[in-house]
Amino acid sequence: MQAELALGGVAAKDRSAATLIARQTARRAVRSGAVWGYVFGAYLATQALAYASSYKTPASRARLAAEFGANAGISALVGPARDIQTVAGFTVWKCLAVLAVVGAVWGLLLGTKALRGEEDAGRWELLLAGQTTPRAAAGQALAGLGCGVVVLFSLTAVITVVVGHSSKVSIGPGGAIFLALAVVAAAAMFLAVGAFASQLAATRHQASAYAGGFLAVAYALRMVADSGTGLGWLRWASPLGWVEELHPLTGASPLALLPMVGLISVLSYFTLRLAGRRDLRASTFADRASAVPRTRLLSGPTGLNLRLARPGLTAWGVGIAAYGLVLGLVAKSAGSAISGSSSLTRAFSRLGAVGAEAYLAVAFLLMAILVSFVGAGQLSATRSEEAEGRLDNLLVRPVSRSRWYAGRLLVASAALIAGGLIAGIFAWLGAASQHSGVDFSSVLEAGLNVVPPGLCILGIGALVFGVAPRATTMATYGLLVWSFLVELVGSVVGLNHFVLDTSVFHQMAAAPAVAPDWVTGGALVGLGAAAALAGGVALRLRDLKSE
Amino acid sequence: MGVFAVRTEGLSKHYGAVHALHGLNLEVSQGEVVGYLGPNGAGKTTTIRLLLGLIRPTAGRAEIFGLDCERQLVDAHRHLAYVAGEASLWPSLTGAETLHLLARVQARRDDAYRDELISRFDLDPSKKVRAYSKGNRQKLILIAALMTRPALLLLDEPTSGLDPLMEQAFRLCVHEARERGQTVFLSSHILSEVEALCDRVGILRQGLLVEMGTLAEMRHLSALSVEATFAGEVPDLSRVPGVASLEVAGHVARCQVRGSIEPLLKVLAVAGVTELLSREPSLEELFLALYGAVDAGGAASDSALDHAG
Repeated sequence: MQAELALGGVAAKDRSAATLIARQTARRAVRSGAVWGYVFGAYLATQALAYASSYKTPASRARLAAEFGANAGISALVGPARDIQTVAGFTVWKCLAVLAVVGAVWGLLLGTKALRGEEDAGRWELLLAGQTTPRAAAGQALAGLGCGVVVLFSLTAVITVVVGHSSKVSIGPGGAIFLALAVVAAAAMFLAVGAFASQLAATRHQASAYAGGFLAVAYALRMVADSGTGLGWLRWASPLGWVEELHPLTGASPLALLPMVGLISVLSYFTLRLAGRRDLRASTFADRASAVPRTRLLSGPTGLNLRLARPGLTAWGVGIAAYGLVLGLVAKSAGSAISGSSSLTRAFSRLGAVGAEAYLAVAFLLMAILVSFVGAGQLSATRSEEAEGRLDNLLVRPVSRSRWYAGRLLVASAALIAGGLIAGIFAWLGAASQHSGVDFSSVLEAGLNVVPPGLCILGIGALVFGVAPRATTMATYGLLVWSFLVELVGSVVGLNHFVLDTSVFHQMAAAPAVAPDWVTGGALVGLGAAAALAGGVALRLRDLKSE
Repeated sequence: MGVFAVRTEGLSKHYGAVHALHGLNLEVSQGEVVGYLGPNGAGKTTTIRLLLGLIRPTAGRAEIFGLDCERQLVDAHRHLAYVAGEASLWPSLTGAETLHLLARVQARRDDAYRDELISRFDLDPSKKVRAYSKGNRQKLILIAALMTRPALLLLDEPTSGLDPLMEQAFRLCVHEARERGQTVFLSSHILSEVEALCDRVGILRQGLLVEMGTLAEMRHLSALSVEATFAGEVPDLSRVPGVASLEVAGHVARCQVRGSIEPLLKVLAVAGVTELLSREPSLEELFLALYGAVDAGGAASDSALDHAG
């Protein structure tokens, strides 16, 4: 009997070991999928509800449709406007392309983290030493990632169905679920792209660059297809085009699911095949293992930080510039559409502005979030330096913790300020190209206006780093996502002002519609600086901590 | 007497109920090469991380060349270099870039000596760190530490992952460092390395320093090995005071002798010995004798702990 029990125990352990990688990957993917599921759901819900309450009359909706329906530039950027005189059509047009890109970035980063990041960190090696093969381990990781997508889809679908039930929105459950499916389809495809790129590249960084390059090509192809130049067929050459071809709520066409399933299947198959054939830490593409030394920045901890952060910060800079340009390009048309909505005009006239500036004021909230991500990312990298032991190399030499910490925060702060400036300059360039009549200095100020919330989040995150370093990444991104959700939901549903005040973005003036409130901005910066200072003191007193 | 290179007073580090290091009193003179031994989890790395200021002591204090390891940390670091047992470096930098950065941070450069070390350790500095094997990464941090010729080298299992040839190169570098008057504090599991390099040895157990001294001073911890070959029958040596672990094979007797060897010599002198070999215990035997005795829970445990106190 005892022997049987023992054998039973062994068998149970075997089963548990056989799914260890899948469970570990799933745990992280599900956590991330849950956060982004809420964000996706909240974004869809707020856009639908905002449209329903802002454009109440058929006349205001017709004017909006006339303004955007025939605009080739906007169509190229976010897809053609179909049935945007309806809540369903507007929600799809406003959300699908944006969330598809966000989901694609989420997917490719999660995919490369699970299938290359773990290998880079040396943890994969330990897992492969267990009862598994590289191929089976990759299969388990893919299964774990799949759980994350299921959670992302489920939460998005549940929120969309619930909001669709409201009489103002009135979207049926079937349509809502199909919309959720279309929204997360890009995330699923790019998870597979990230997993496949992880087999081609030598590092996670490289794998993310390959997958990001593929995303850029997919976006460019979809843009050309939607630019009204008779190249509509190109949409079928881009995974983002397939998402658009699903036409959720506007004549749903599930046929486009076929290439998606095909892409995911083919990439998963080759991911498993390559994972089974290549050596651990080896790449399919030849890796440039040697390089000519470039020592210009390598004179101290801050220079090193700049050198290491440069590729990531450049990518963020390009992203912010592109988004700023898009905002500027559509500002005039969008501003006119606002003028078509009596309730929006009333709301914005209270701010003291209408037209392009009013639109930019709302759009710059998203810009503030984007810029804040730059600071949060820098803080997360700061914690990684400590957790993975690289910081020891500096601190065992004549470098004080304070000097290193101040250098890190200096680079992060400079990146935030640069992000704000780039946002303002490129938004103005876009707006000026459309003769929107928007003043350069006011848009530049609007760009700088997004910096204080970012600095505040950076400072609070730095305090957490000083006091409880292992919670740094979770706390910083948590504060960012919380602030975003409160602001998003608060714009539609009347939230208690105590709740609204917990969002750092709620303290931001609606520039360029109104002049930035530099006193409040200064207070946000002051709060962040005080928190960062306290974090610096705590860092001096505590032990360095590994993961 | 000059300032000690390393000095600790009641240095302790507790993690809740776990005493990683308890009441360490240590003095390392300038120019000394000191070995630091102990099983895994004994507190060796904790000691070195406390000296480096990477972790803060629960009690006590430490000094490097008279500079307080908490209040004058940056000044103390100007005089030392550290090698960890596991090199964690920036994967996107090349070996040459890493060495350039670390030399600049240390504010001390000797490019000729750096190049000599690169050649001795047979390292290709044009490769990116991520392309190096574990052994090559270890070579890189060894070169980074040695190239600045610091007054104090804090080495925490520095040769892990190195092949025997490179270990020889490392030993040569430590010998040269000693000749130049540098102080070396070497934590290692390779007892032959410690025996070959160190003037004094400290042995830790469960966060306590249980022995500290030269190898000669520590011989009392273990017995002398004696092998005697007789012309005729082997006499009964089992009752000779101090003799233990007696083995007889033909005309040869092997045994361990604790304490004075005189009683045994008296017996052997009249028994017709044709050949007599005696050997002092190696560091490994000392180490095992100490830990064997302590783990057996015998009297050695108490005496060892008393000694540390």
